[in-house]
Amino acid sequence: MNVKFLNPFVEAAFQVLQAETRLSISRGELNLDKDPYTTDDITVIISLVGQVMGNVIYSFNNQTAIALAGRMMEEDINSLSALAQSSIAELTNVITGRASVLLSQAGFECVISPPTFLMGKGAVISTLDYARLVVPLNTDVGSLIIHLALREGNQKVVSAGGVVAANRFTI
Amino acid sequence: MNVKFLNPFVEAASEVLETECSIKVMRGNLTLHKSAMTTDDVTVLINLVGQVQGVVLYGLSDKTGLALVSRVMGQEFTEFDNLAQSGVAELGNVISGQATVRLSRAGYSANISPPTLIHGRGVTISTLDFARVVVPLTTEVGDVTVHLALREAIPGTQDAHFVPIMVPDQST
Repeated sequence: MNVKFLNPFVEAAFQVLQAETRLSISRGELNLDKDPYTTDDITVIISLVGQVMGNVIYSFNNQTAIALAGRMMEEDINSLSALAQSSIAELTNVITGRASVLLSQAGFECVISPPTFLMGKGAVISTLDYARLVVPLNTDVGSLIIHLALREGNQKVVSAGGVVAANRFTI
Repeated sequence: MNVKFLNPFVEAASEVLETECSIKVMRGNLTLHKSAMTTDDVTVLINLVGQVQGVVLYGLSDKTGLALVSRVMGQEFTEFDNLAQSGVAELGNVISGQATVRLSRAGYSANISPPTLIHGRGVTISTLDFARVVVPLTTEVGDVTVHLALREAIPGTQDAHFVPIMVPDQST
């Protein structure tokens, strides 16, 4: 995992969380983890494909997810309804999208996948041979933890518009 | 979810499982699910981006996973260790890679992400507003269930796949 991929995510997360939830955020201590990750209550997975390849995993506990979703929706909620789940997925989608813009400004073009939302504590998620850089972001309502399992890729970005130049994985 | 995205995956899965594990694969009945899925023991998650986008999930039991990996590697696995996990993830990767080759022949280019492996039964995975087509593939060592939550990307929108928001200027 290349540390130059870290700052775009931290910067994007700060900007997006502040804009969407008006919370003040501080970054916790970084940690490089080679072991699989055991899930917290809520996990969102988004993949990056292009000149940066890999997966970004966002994890929250229930309480934090509910508080963040509530702030985004400007409503007092006490459970993670479908709408609240969608808000949390959208929050991570916007952070990742913003980070991919910052990455492309730094010369690493990539596209992101739609988010996949996992609920359930205690499952083990392995990013296999991609080591995870763990970035905790602390807010007043709890911590959002970003796991970056990324490396430099060589795939050209496939545009949805139809211009195609793909280097596929060798099979 | 467009059903034309289904066959490339079913064909690729049958072909890969038959060549890599030398087992016969039977396709079960298709179902369409709108609700979240609850995981089996092992889930391999791979995303597609490009003209087809979304997520493909391969669900299988520990027993089936171990049996498949044992056949791929030609040695007996009794424990779901790192090598076995890597083997199962690689199967998902190869199947998805093959499927994207078939998709691109059909005029839909897409790239796949590196696989993520989720080990743990009973976790809920939601693909949000993507409906899932579920295809069970039955083999003599157990079922591999393929979940496809894919859709055709709308041309020209790939660059705007996130909602732009107003970001306060940090420098002031």
